Amino acid sequence: MIAKKVLLVGSFGVGKTSLIRRFVLNEFSEDYISTIGVRVSAKIMKIQEEEVKLLIWDIAGTYGEEKIPKSYFLGASAAMFVFDVSREETYLDIKNQLDAVKSISGLKNIMLVGNKKDLISDEKLAEIMKIIPISIDLMTSAKEDENVEDAFIKLTLQSLK
Amino acid sequence: MISLKIQQTFIEIKTDFNGNIISIVDGYFLKNEFIESKSIFKICTFLENVLDFLPINESLNIDSLIINDDNQDFNIDVEILKTEFEIFILIQNRTTLYKYIGKLNQNRNDLFFLKREIDEKNLELEILRKIAEKANEEKSRFLAMMSHEIRNPLHVILSYIDLIEQENTSPIVKESLKYMSISGKNLQVIVDDILDLSRIEAGKLQLAKLPMNLGVLINQIQSIFDKTHKNPDVELQFYVAENIPKIVLTDDVRLYQILINLINNSIKFTEKGFVKIAVKLISVENNFTTIGFEISDSGRGMTEEQALTIFEEYQQNQLDDNRIHKGAGLGLTIVNRLVRAMNGSISVNSKLQEGTTFSIKIPFNIENQSDIFEKVALKIKNEKSLKGTKVLVADDNYLNLTIVSHILKQEEAEFVMVKDGIEALIEISKNTFDLILLDINMPNLSGDDLILQKSNYEKMNGKTPILAITANNSVENIATYLDLGFKDVIPKPFTKSQLIEILLKNL
Repeated sequence: MIAKKVLLVGSFGVGKTSLIRRFVLNEFSEDYISTIGVRVSAKIMKIQEEEVKLLIWDIAGTYGEEKIPKSYFLGASAAMFVFDVSREETYLDIKNQLDAVKSISGLKNIMLVGNKKDLISDEKLAEIMKIIPISIDLMTSAKEDENVEDAFIKLTLQSLK
Repeated sequence: MISLKIQQTFIEIKTDFNGNIISIVDGYFLKNEFIESKSIFKICTFLENVLDFLPINESLNIDSLIINDDNQDFNIDVEILKTEFEIFILIQNRTTLYKYIGKLNQNRNDLFFLKREIDEKNLELEILRKIAEKANEEKSRFLAMMSHEIRNPLHVILSYIDLIEQENTSPIVKESLKYMSISGKNLQVIVDDILDLSRIEAGKLQLAKLPMNLGVLINQIQSIFDKTHKNPDVELQFYVAENIPKIVLTDDVRLYQILINLINNSIKFTEKGFVKIAVKLISVENNFTTIGFEISDSGRGMTEEQALTIFEEYQQNQLDDNRIHKGAGLGLTIVNRLVRAMNGSISVNSKLQEGTTFSIKIPFNIENQSDIFEKVALKIKNEKSLKGTKVLVADDNYLNLTIVSHILKQEEAEFVMVKDGIEALIEISKNTFDLILLDINMPNLSGDDLILQKSNYEKMNGKTPILAITANNSVENIATYLDLGFKDVIPKPFTKSQLIEILLKNL
């Protein structure tokens, strides 16, 4: 079995921990508890007849222009940048934020996921997709368990490339 | 020697490149979890897939990691050094420190979300406020329009009553006319109040700032009530303090309206005793003075509850108040708004069956008094007459034309009546007049379009004052008419004396 290290990054409160809890434990809580530091969770995935141990690093959400320490990315195979579709400030400068993560991590491709889709209408979602200048991989809802598994499968596939 | 307490805060482990523990170098932190020959990844998951990528002989720090032992989380900082043969991992327990950082971080984020929620609510409130404002504006516009439509026929009715009253009629007719006049004037008060209120609400009330003699104003008010106040059981008392500044800058019409309204209100609700009007100086500072006006009575008074709502719209305290007394219950609302528009304050103090006192404080600007006297002197009335004055009156409303013609006839003026703009244009292009009165809303050619065709009438009436005669008498409308070239505006409804005064002023 191969092990792959992946990271979830993005502004505070966008739902990174909720996505991981939904994916690993199938749990969700409405309470917001900010993450301090890094918690690593593991889940075995079966992808293309191969078992992959996914080591998921849940990085504390960044505030403003705060940078993620470079050491966190050592040995990382993929990363998911999460934003909150209901909070404009988490995606308005997304291209620059993604470029900064790419530069620190050395990863060429970073998966882009918009979480909390349950909080806005489909029309608003379509509007956001037009506003964001880069391609969004998936829109998810940790609360409603929408596209969460798909997002991690996609992340695992990216880690295998 | 390192103390036991310090040794319990860290542990240093030596592993091979696969993460198998070779030995514990030092420290006791979670010592039982680190067993020789076992994998370090069981407790330190974060090291999996990391050890292979460590640079040789280069120390690496990874701060703020979380490990879990026996369902308890520990915050740790880690320092790793990979040599050519083994890996040294120093783990420091920082749980206490990170607990405080965590609380601060949580508070900061919670505050952010709270602020965000408040901002969103404020935005929603702003939207709701705009909707409410728009609805209110629509209401005011509707009321203003309705009032305007009512004013025109009302003006005609009152003017005709005025004209008939001057004729020799039987006592029964005279009595009937009196009641018609009272009812008509009552309706006029209501319409004017509604118009005033809608103007105030729409923010279209513009206050003048002209020199006014407060003593003279109070004397005028006193003489009006001397003539109209008929109840011998209620004594009217007027007091003006001697130390008030003679001249203040204010909107005399609106100040008059405030005082008349309050005095009338007190008279209405006082069957016996007195109504007292007192004017006193509160303060003088630089170019400002604050004057207090107190209108007190020995009337029926109010409960505390009634006094609290007395300035609300359509508020009358007893079921039959609006039947017995004039108005729709807007008078005190207007007074309150006018006082506030003058940057003043109003309060009411009342006791049931004892009486009520309304206290107003208004700040007034007082310029150099000698300058003001000069300005006032310029306002001295011109004693002219309309006798022999040639006047053209254009109005499509036959009744309005008749009223003006009656007044002009009484004043021995020479006049020509026309019923639309085209007829007026033909007339003024052929004959010279001393005054031209144009209605605004006329068929074929409106008054405001006619005045712009100056080339057609310049030869005969290039210098003749042209006055607009209209019920569109808001500040904006008047400004527009003056810009178009009208010398003055005669607002409908007007009384005979008002019309004559404006005509004489423009001769």
